[in-house]
Amino acid sequence: MQAPKWYVIGKNQYRLTLSGVREVRPYFPYLAIGLLALYVAYLAPAIVGSFTDEALEFLLSQAAVATIQLILFSIFLWFIFFPVSLVLRDIQISQLEIFLSAPVKPSHLLLGEFLGVLPFYAIGVVVIAGVFTALVNPLGLGVLQTAIVVMVFVLTFFSALWLGTVAGALLRTKLGQSDRGRDIGKAIGFLIALPVVAVMYAMMGGGLATVLSDPGASGLVRSALGLLPSSWGARLITDFAANPGNISAVWFETLTRFGGLTLFFLASLWLGVKLADRAYNLETTSFSAAKAKSDGAFYNALRSFVGGGAFGTLVVSIFKDYGRRLQNLSRVGYIMGIIVLINVFLVRPDEPFGMFLMGQALFGVLAAFVVGEVTVRGKECLFIYRKAPRGESRLVKARLAQGWIVTLPIAAALTAAQLAIVPRISPLAALGYIAVLVVLAAAYVVLTLGLFLLMPAFSDKGGEFGVIMMVIPMLSLGSFIASDILLGRAWSGPFVVVLSWLVGILLLVLGKRNLGRIE
Amino acid sequence: MNVVARTDNLCKYYGRHGEIKAVDQLNLEVYEGETFGLLGPNGAGKTTTVRLLNCIIKPTSGTATVAGHDILKNPDDVKRVTGLLAESPGLYEKLSAYEFLEFMAALYDVPRDIVPHRIEDLLKLFGLSDRRNHLLEGYSRGMKQKVLLAAALVHDPPILFLDEPTSTLDPRAALMVKDLIKELSDQAGKTIFVCSHILPIVEELCDRIGVINQGRLIALGTVEEIIARTGKKTLEEAFIEMTGGVEEKELLAWREHTHAGT
Repeated sequence: MQAPKWYVIGKNQYRLTLSGVREVRPYFPYLAIGLLALYVAYLAPAIVGSFTDEALEFLLSQAAVATIQLILFSIFLWFIFFPVSLVLRDIQISQLEIFLSAPVKPSHLLLGEFLGVLPFYAIGVVVIAGVFTALVNPLGLGVLQTAIVVMVFVLTFFSALWLGTVAGALLRTKLGQSDRGRDIGKAIGFLIALPVVAVMYAMMGGGLATVLSDPGASGLVRSALGLLPSSWGARLITDFAANPGNISAVWFETLTRFGGLTLFFLASLWLGVKLADRAYNLETTSFSAAKAKSDGAFYNALRSFVGGGAFGTLVVSIFKDYGRRLQNLSRVGYIMGIIVLINVFLVRPDEPFGMFLMGQALFGVLAAFVVGEVTVRGKECLFIYRKAPRGESRLVKARLAQGWIVTLPIAAALTAAQLAIVPRISPLAALGYIAVLVVLAAAYVVLTLGLFLLMPAFSDKGGEFGVIMMVIPMLSLGSFIASDILLGRAWSGPFVVVLSWLVGILLLVLGKRNLGRIE
Repeated sequence: MNVVARTDNLCKYYGRHGEIKAVDQLNLEVYEGETFGLLGPNGAGKTTTVRLLNCIIKPTSGTATVAGHDILKNPDDVKRVTGLLAESPGLYEKLSAYEFLEFMAALYDVPRDIVPHRIEDLLKLFGLSDRRNHLLEGYSRGMKQKVLLAAALVHDPPILFLDEPTSTLDPRAALMVKDLIKELSDQAGKTIFVCSHILPIVEELCDRIGVINQGRLIALGTVEEIIARTGKKTLEEAFIEMTGGVEEKELLAWREHTHAGT
């Protein structure tokens, strides 16, 4: 008997996901199940056991309902957005043709795609459920209550994952037909993380849970949050915590909330199957072509600003290719959004040190996003320059100019906005502070460009790109913290600026040398 | 006849111990004004040779001169006198055709006063004037190929390297490119180095051809000389004879097992 098509597709998806660790693929399920069993049976209870009293006190408090609701809501959002983001960052519709030319129903495709990634997300669900069950078990929950708590996590997060899979498939079909659409997809794929980050920061530093716990405040937000499926399960957990071993005391709540969650899961499945035809087709297509307008005042000014001539044309060309990609603008928007969120929720106005530190790390990431374009379009784009006389030197100079022109005004504007919430700062001190961070951001452009040339990332999905993105904030934060300890706060700032320039120049020299060796 | 490109034991090896010989001991001369074709199966070393001669990659050993300039000592001079249409070229997809050609002209220091006219002329020549302001991302592969060919010509180089120039073009566009190559050679006196595995194009356009296989030059001469040397009737048969191919009896061998079982 032939295997069902959804199984074949799911298995293929599973194999694709594990293709990077092909050697351990046969043992992966046993390894994962074994480690998870160890985690659920020993590790999670041991971790929770170290703060049992505080945990139990919290679970029975007024704040527990809102906090657990918010935690589950954040994770629920993540389970929807993450698969969507993965799809949007790299929209591939070429495989659709293979599937659609084969005798496979779209609903089987969708189910296969979902089941193929399910084991990996299930690991996350087990980890989360493991912590929560370990947390509530000391209260003396019955077996049925524990089983329902576990099922709450399974239903909530699998529903979210299914919705994310359906949304991802729909968006892929809708946006994958044109370059413009793919670009929009990449931009959305990046910005989609901001709402989850906003909820997390609001919980961490904004006191959102405390505000929601107050019966007299935030009625609208609290009601809206209560309507979400993730909150039904959260309420059930706190109900069980208040009535351990006595499910009959909350039978109505159990029936409505758990029943509602089950219905929500089934309704999501039904909706997905209904939308599958739309999620997998190549009917929609776009025949509209994007046009370039003639150079306006901005590009003319830019050309003059960098000295005009052939170099001006190079910088303007690079700028156009950069600025017309929405994904590039979304990355800049993302970093700006993160800085704003940090300032709104996490930074204390009377402690600007934290701001400087955050600015340090994030301006480095911003610079990396801007100048990272130097290699991510592939070797062939580098070869255009290599083919031209003195092409590599011009490339480095033009990328530096572009990096500074994009990054420095943003760094200045964000720093000025940050300073607006600092009380009693003199205009001179503010200007000095802005100048220091702008000079630092300029150093980061040099440093990241050098790093990208030294360790070329020929795709923004590749390992090198991820490594550089991790190295930059670690390098900047590390150097600042180290100099703060060694030199004291007054000297650490100027020292880090000088150090960043020196390291940046060194990396750029080495990177430019490496550029000539890329084959 | 003047030699405009000469390779001298040119080698390019890859791998930790140089075990992959992309180009191996290549000795070749290309004469001024001729159209030279480098023929070879996929992976034979054609693109590597072109990249070496355009100073995009450096040889493992040996050297070459292009228009009298050594590829190791004077790479910038070599680059100035050559135009390249690469096999899998980079393209700034968010630029329009006009903007891309303007960018390429700037890279090759074409005087600003002649750039607009030259770009307009090239766009007109390739039938792209109507779409001059469309972003390249919206172009078909054939249209992109035309833009790249225009980019290779934008600084009016005396030597042109064309790596698979017609492989992505429709018959009409391919004919136009063939005519253009003939014109560039006959009327403008350009030296043209064509890499291809499309035999009729090489046969029709090239004054001489070289056949490369597994990095080594295995034949050099006019089409007639190469056919005569192998004792075959056509260039296709001669090419297969020299580079190896699948035997006729092997073509349907994959079905025999199935049919034997049924």
